[in-house]
Amino acid sequence: MASASRPNSLEEDDDDAEEEVQHFDDFTLASSWERFISDIEATCRQWLADGPRNLVEKGAVAMEDSKNLFKVKHDLKNVEKSYCMEFYFQIDDNGGQQAGIDNWNSNSHDLQLCFGVKDFLLIAPQSASGVLLDSPESSKLLSSVAIALSNCASLWPAFVPVHDPSRKAYIGIQNMGTVFTRRFEADRIGSQVPVKLMHLEGLYELFISKFVYSGVDFSMHNFRVHFRMRLTYQTFPYDEEDEENDMDELMDDKADNAEHHGSESRNKVHWDDDCPWSEWYSAEDPLRGFELVVTWDDRTVENTMEMAELENASPHEAEKWILHPILSPYLGDPSRGKRIDFASQLLCLVEALDMSFTAQFMEDFVSVEYPSSENLKTSLVIPPQTVLDRVIKDLFHEGSKLPDFTKGEHKLSRALKAAPLESLFTQFCLHSLWFGNCNIRAIAFLWIDFVREVRWCWEETQPLPKMPNDGSIDLSTCLINQKLHLLAICIEKKREMNEEFLDCIGSEDSSDASVSMEEHPKVDKRKNTSSEADLQRKRDSSIAEDTSNRLRFERKTESTNSVDHSPTYAMRRGSAGPVGTMMLLKSHQRLHAPFTQDPPLMTEDMHEERLQAVEAFGDSLNVPGQLEKDILLSDMSAFKAANPDAVFEDFIRWHSPGDWESFEPKTTEPSAASNTEGSTDQWPPQGRLSQRMSDQGNLWRKSWHDAPALQADDQKPLLDPNREGEKILHYLETVRPHQLLEQMACTAFRGSADTLNQTNYGNMKQMTSKLEQLYFIIKSTLGGLQRNNLPDRAETVKDLRRLCVVFEHVEKLVTVAASLHRKFLDASRLAQVIFSEFYGIYVPLMGINSNDEENKSRTEMEVSRQEVTLRERQVVSNLFSPPSANQSWRKVLSMGNLLNGHEPILREIIFSTGDDVNNGIHYAAAADVAATSDRRGEEIETHRMYVSGTSNDLRVALSVTSCD
Amino acid sequence: MGSSSGQPEFDYLFKVLLIGDSGVGKSSLLLSFTSNTFDDLSPTIGVDFKVKYLTIGEKKLKLAIWDTAGQERFRTLTSSYYRGAQGIIMVYDVTRRDTFTNLSDIWAKEIDLYSTNQDCIKMLVGNKVDKESERAVTKKEGIDFAREYGCLFLECSAKTRVNVEQCFEELVLKILETPSLTAEGSSGGKKNIFKQNPTQTSSASSSYCCSS
Repeated sequence: MASASRPNSLEEDDDDAEEEVQHFDDFTLASSWERFISDIEATCRQWLADGPRNLVEKGAVAMEDSKNLFKVKHDLKNVEKSYCMEFYFQIDDNGGQQAGIDNWNSNSHDLQLCFGVKDFLLIAPQSASGVLLDSPESSKLLSSVAIALSNCASLWPAFVPVHDPSRKAYIGIQNMGTVFTRRFEADRIGSQVPVKLMHLEGLYELFISKFVYSGVDFSMHNFRVHFRMRLTYQTFPYDEEDEENDMDELMDDKADNAEHHGSESRNKVHWDDDCPWSEWYSAEDPLRGFELVVTWDDRTVENTMEMAELENASPHEAEKWILHPILSPYLGDPSRGKRIDFASQLLCLVEALDMSFTAQFMEDFVSVEYPSSENLKTSLVIPPQTVLDRVIKDLFHEGSKLPDFTKGEHKLSRALKAAPLESLFTQFCLHSLWFGNCNIRAIAFLWIDFVREVRWCWEETQPLPKMPNDGSIDLSTCLINQKLHLLAICIEKKREMNEEFLDCIGSEDSSDASVSMEEHPKVDKRKNTSSEADLQRKRDSSIAEDTSNRLRFERKTESTNSVDHSPTYAMRRGSAGPVGTMMLLKSHQRLHAPFTQDPPLMTEDMHEERLQAVEAFGDSLNVPGQLEKDILLSDMSAFKAANPDAVFEDFIRWHSPGDWESFEPKTTEPSAASNTEGSTDQWPPQGRLSQRMSDQGNLWRKSWHDAPALQADDQKPLLDPNREGEKILHYLETVRPHQLLEQMACTAFRGSADTLNQTNYGNMKQMTSKLEQLYFIIKSTLGGLQRNNLPDRAETVKDLRRLCVVFEHVEKLVTVAASLHRKFLDASRLAQVIFSEFYGIYVPLMGINSNDEENKSRTEMEVSRQEVTLRERQVVSNLFSPPSANQSWRKVLSMGNLLNGHEPILREIIFSTGDDVNNGIHYAAAADVAATSDRRGEEIETHRMYVSGTSNDLRVALSVTSCD
Repeated sequence: MGSSSGQPEFDYLFKVLLIGDSGVGKSSLLLSFTSNTFDDLSPTIGVDFKVKYLTIGEKKLKLAIWDTAGQERFRTLTSSYYRGAQGIIMVYDVTRRDTFTNLSDIWAKEIDLYSTNQDCIKMLVGNKVDKESERAVTKKEGIDFAREYGCLFLECSAKTRVNVEQCFEELVLKILETPSLTAEGSSGGKKNIFKQNPTQTSSASSSYCCSS
């Protein structure tokens, strides 16, 4: 019917008339049968004339799983039935008719594989099943096609399906262009395959039987046939094991149902037990399993014995191994909430952040009076006290050792306003991700207890866990982390004060030789000797540069100076030792560096306050310099105490050497060894203050006059630990919920990213750059948080949700990379190749702009097959762990070629045999055949059999070339 | 130049840090820029701080310029001021070679150590070009150093005010050209990376004339 409506069909008919002049087709008289044939013929001529390229342009449909196979369709109508004719054709620039099939091309169409053809016609009735039920109809149909094809001199093979669809049975015919015709036949046994046909010998004999007279005993004769085999193995599906485990677990669970958390991790060995995220959750292995395709290349077999040997051969003897990873479907599945991972929990935290704006204090979320708490309570569950206790214990009481704060740190981690991974606040944030379902009430509950515990540490002067109690405040971290750090330092100072107080009462401490005895009775903020040394090393590198030098001078001082000037020397207080060979200007004594107070530590809000004060008062009060002036004053006092005879110039020479213009020749200054005695001779040192230091009303000189001679320990402390500590706790106890949640969000994102960053995934460059990209995206998305005002809350929350989607993608990629890495430890090439392949498919799906709506659909993840090199075979074969007793009894081992006890799940064999065309049988056609068959010039393939079998079905396709 | 401290409205707040050896003229440079005067200032104690309002093109800018002391004693204290700075100006004295060599020996390392901002704009400034006869560091050396460290370079004199304004303007223009920095400094919140359109980011780099 279609052809009748097509304008071309008339032209076609004309062409026919022209081409076949002698023959006149009178269509008016033609029977329906003849019309049908001519319809087919017309269509085929059209397709032939078009050629593959034009057909593709005209809209041929590409087959799904093949890159270069296309089909065109045409509907036909007989008197009683409609049919559909499809033409499958392949476009590849290289190779002839059989090229694709030889390679066991995995993309081949089923019929191509079965019959060893390239382009073909398929005609099927347009019924629901698409199958011809009786054989007369099918042979009639096939003959029609054959006549039509020979009319238009086409060499395409044509197939029609027969019987019911499950048998996948076909018959077919191909005009070989000369006297030869190929006939095709395929059928399948769905169950109860005869034992004989499960083995290679039986199949070999089946093939032989197709061209040898039935009376011959096959075992006695040799028949040379070509043999190729492809075996597919598959690792045991993960689910199977899981089921068994689940069964076991079900039993166990009856015993203890109380602890929900315990049962999750019981008895199970997870693939990711040593991955960094396993501390928080267990991920499903993204690689479900592997399929291995092992190919034996073309070989000639002569008898059944050889076949039996082949069946015993190890897959390691095969020519080619192709590995196909089977990905877990969850990778292509964007649905959230089903899986538990960092991304899912971070999303919960984002929702909590959104809610945090509704209350003034964290307590409000827990309290009964909170207005909306009724509907909150139903959805927002708080975990039981036991879980809370466990988390608090984990945070505060486990491992007193200070962790390595740079662990897991990415070079971009510091760009996020968060806290180091192992620090107290990060651990709090990560715990809260998994506390309950990370809702705002659960967080409030945990936070209140957390702060209570922190206060306990403060009151009891117990060190704050997971926080350093020294160093300087890192202002790039979030405010809470800064506060906790400063609190840890305050606690330490408090402890030192208490200890020294006790020491002073108890015993005389005379460990510090350079400090006079008078200091001890005083209650002071003196640090112990070791930390003092630290402090001095940190600050006065000029002294610390050469301790050896200093020691020498100390000895020298004792031998010479202390004898000469013992009265003055004894007056020194708080000296950290002489500075090189420097002498005082007005007194023949060494210039000593004093111990100085630590510069006061400040958190960013304290800096902020100062900044605001400056802005408010302008330059008039000179506020910014105030604190530093205090420090300068303190330094001057300490210097005066350490050098009782010093003048202002001496202080400048030590403190700001640039402002002392020395008249002495430079050479004598640096190397101490040569001029130790020289310097004493050249007393007093010659020089003068710089212009700016000697100006009238110089602030420094003024300060010098005001500074009393007081060693650091006797001075008013620059930082009052009691006051600062109390202020910090006040902050923690009254922090606004949204301020807390904003900091938590930043810290949790960084903590999660840092955790993923610790994953060992080998040398996969894409992963490294993807992680880096993640940090950038986190940084720019979180940039608006932790400021004084959040410009657009709804927009920010939306962005954060998107960030969670990005995080989820990267998290998936990391699990894939980690899983591949650990499976191919000794074949990193394979891991990398598979990962790049996966990455190439996955990344386009995850675009940064992905909206929630767009992402709903699920994508099938499929990575291509990878050839395994000889060296990598052992690694791959190790993936096929020998089956456990449980697994093996289920299987009936019916096929040979076991790989570590695994039977192939699919065995495909191609037998073929040929006749020498020159041996006289096909004499007439020899030349033609040689021209058409480009594969074997001398030999023509007479019989070909394709066998495909699993452990319970068998499919056989035969093609026979014969001379009609 | 709208430097009235009572005016809170501004589009961007940028933090700029001045570092370099003691006595190279950091405070003088700052004073010269903010109040057009030159004084022989007494050495900075710790940290000093000045605010300057600028209008560049349509944009109102507030510059918070932190002037740090060069003395070693204050170095641990000043380290905290590197944080969040969008611009860092390294100053040396063209008549004192050691102040130049110390930039690579000490100050550049301090930046690597303390600066939290990857994209932060660095600028090298050779001060005191009025003392041409005493020059100890050639302009070429300065350019080479700047090229190596990837920073802007200018020679100026706080005393004669040569190039002083250009120095700060050039730095600010460069900051405005860097989207991540303008996003940080913007008073109207951050830019949305999910909706950022690529033409928008480059618009900041079109030329402005400084109205100060």
